[in-house]
Amino acid sequence: MAERSGKYRSQGIFLAAALLVASSLQALAQVPPPVSAKLRERIEVCKTCHGADGNSQMEKIPSLAGQPEYFLLNQLVLMREGVRPVKEMAEFVKDLTDEDIQSLSAYFSKLVPILTGPKPDPALVAKGKPVAEKLLCVSCHGKKLEGVEQIPRLSGQRIDYMIAAMRAYRMDKRPGADTTMSAAIASASDGDLVALAHYAASR
Amino acid sequence: MSAIVRTLSLGFAAAVAATAFGLSPSIAQGPPGMSRMDKTNAGASGQARTLRPHRTPPIAPKPDKIPLDKIKLPAGFKAEIYSHGHAGGRTMVRAPGGTIFMGSRAIGRVYAIVDKGGKREVKIIAKGLTHPNGIEFRNGSLYVFSIHRVYRYDIIEKNLDKPGKPVELTKAYNLPPEIHHNWKYVAFGPDGKMYVQVGANCNICEINNGIRGHIRRYNADGTGMEIVARGIRNTVGFDWHPETKELWFTDNGRDWAGNEGPEDELNRVAKNNEGAFYGFPYCHANGIADQNVKIPNACAGVTMPAALLGPHAAALGIKFYTGAMFPAAYRNVAFIARHGSWNRENKYGYDVVVARPQADGSAKIEPFLQGLLDNDGNKFYGRPSYVMQMPDGALLVSDETNGATYRISYSGAK
Ligand code: HEC
Ligand code: HEC
Repeated sequence: MAERSGKYRSQGIFLAAALLVASSLQALAQVPPPVSAKLRERIEVCKTCHGADGNSQMEKIPSLAGQPEYFLLNQLVLMREGVRPVKEMAEFVKDLTDEDIQSLSAYFSKLVPILTGPKPDPALVAKGKPVAEKLLCVSCHGKKLEGVEQIPRLSGQRIDYMIAAMRAYRMDKRPGADTTMSAAIASASDGDLVALAHYAASR
Repeated sequence: MSAIVRTLSLGFAAAVAATAFGLSPSIAQGPPGMSRMDKTNAGASGQARTLRPHRTPPIAPKPDKIPLDKIKLPAGFKAEIYSHGHAGGRTMVRAPGGTIFMGSRAIGRVYAIVDKGGKREVKIIAKGLTHPNGIEFRNGSLYVFSIHRVYRYDIIEKNLDKPGKPVELTKAYNLPPEIHHNWKYVAFGPDGKMYVQVGANCNICEINNGIRGHIRRYNADGTGMEIVARGIRNTVGFDWHPETKELWFTDNGRDWAGNEGPEDELNRVAKNNEGAFYGFPYCHANGIADQNVKIPNACAGVTMPAALLGPHAAALGIKFYTGAMFPAAYRNVAFIARHGSWNRENKYGYDVVVARPQADGSAKIEPFLQGLLDNDGNKFYGRPSYVMQMPDGALLVSDETNGATYRISYSGAK
């Protein structure tokens, strides 16, 4: 995770997580709550980083709202097993059972995605459009970049996160991933990646 | 041309960044990962833009969801579920004590399947690895190849619940670290050497055949590397003919060059032809010049395949059958698992075929295990990945998407 300034942020985040666990249980109202108390509590922890409504308010932390259920499930298994290690999250996923992961994925996939963080820059959106068409993002991510099965939603995802994610793929720094994503952007320049993120977020 | 300019400017940027942060300037070589020279032109392929790789469930389905009832076999053969609950399990080796070890890809696990009085118990003996598809067993030790990382677990069968720290042989093997097409297949040959796959880090690109796109072999400790066959896009299965001892390997054809091919290949490394060139990236299948990487006389000097294995079929595991359980007609023929297509509008494969070697060095392909592909609905129920012969002569077939193995036995007339 060399791409992010992990250390300071994650300490702050742990503290925030600890403080917020007990507080905001009313945010659960929109979606049928998962059964067990363990999960209800855990979801509150997730939300300290991923946003009270599943849309992240924190730099380079992805929104989970409206992601395909299967994508979330796949990533959470990979995170639990340490295949995709996310230091900030390790503590909160290592004890999840397969059934827990299924419930969490079902829960976050049903929240409504709203773009948070940096706003798409119209000039970059225009620059990203032809690149996205040439590299066939829609063939995998769906017509509206809404995500399909194991492939994530890009539309409405945070721009800063997507730029970091694409750089990581290109550097072979996001293990566990299917390499099809690295292949898709192998020919893209750094400038292209930024434009692609602005374009994708705006769909 | 533009690629060169880009590489140069990236190199420059990297060098500047390196100085600024006081790092070694050696990173100016550019980032690892995929080749920057990939010439794929999906738009020109004429293929539907909705084609995309299939998912592999990270949680195995319950036994009642495993599509055993779909499987069709020739008369006299029968399939049953042998083991289940090993999500994403693919490659298999059987140790003398009866443990079956199983490698995987994205899920990063190595499993051990243990027979407990007719019931199979599944243990996870390693996890968090990057595509640990390459596994092999010898002298009490399990070898695990996870891209370029190589681990040896000694006296493993006695320590399945606590495998301990493996001996790491990564430095000795010195394999390329790029992930793409480097989920390994490995096997000890009849010469006692460890044979190792190294794929091309692209769909279609120029490669240096001394570094990738080949099969190589080593002494077990990682010394004495030699290249055995070159010009291979991605082989993820090979085996040796029981009598001729020649090496046969499957090779997956490129994507985005049309629905009909180029077909996957079954290749043979003939005696006295070691180091032969099999065509990638210039020449595919039975002599089809590539449409994106063009050179004059693209197929000159290329060793042609023993058989074609179908368009986008994703032929993976291959094993020659030497058992006594199946009829004599199956002796010394190869079983090949075809994982099934993604880059094809009408799905293809998802089966196990038989390759019958012919006197002229070619092979004839026949169907064997079918039914996991529904042609009318254009959907699949499972993905056969690897095959293995059991001591009693039954054939085990792993199904990656169902996290199961099927035991194929024969009880008909011989
Ligand atoms: C301390 C902060 C933190 C907490 C708490 C946290 N996460 Fe995360 N999560 C992150 C970060 C940071 C990433 C991005 C990692 C990266 O850059 O690869 C992430 C990524 C993810 C992803 C991958 C999404 C994508 O688009 O790739 C999923 C799924 C996820 N988290 C689910 C959860 C769930 C479920 C919980 C609660 C059990 C949780 N997270 C708790 C920080 C956190
Ligand atoms: C061949 C299929 C394919 C194509 C084409 C493709 N992607 Fe992806 N993409 C994937 C897969 C699969 C993943 C998830 C991989 C994983 O498990 O980490 C992914 C993940 C991503 C992510 C990470 C999102 C997250 O939430 O973690 C971003 C950003 C992304 N893709 C952007 C793009 C853009 C932009 C394009 C077009 C230039 C594109 N992709 C084209 C298959 C593809």
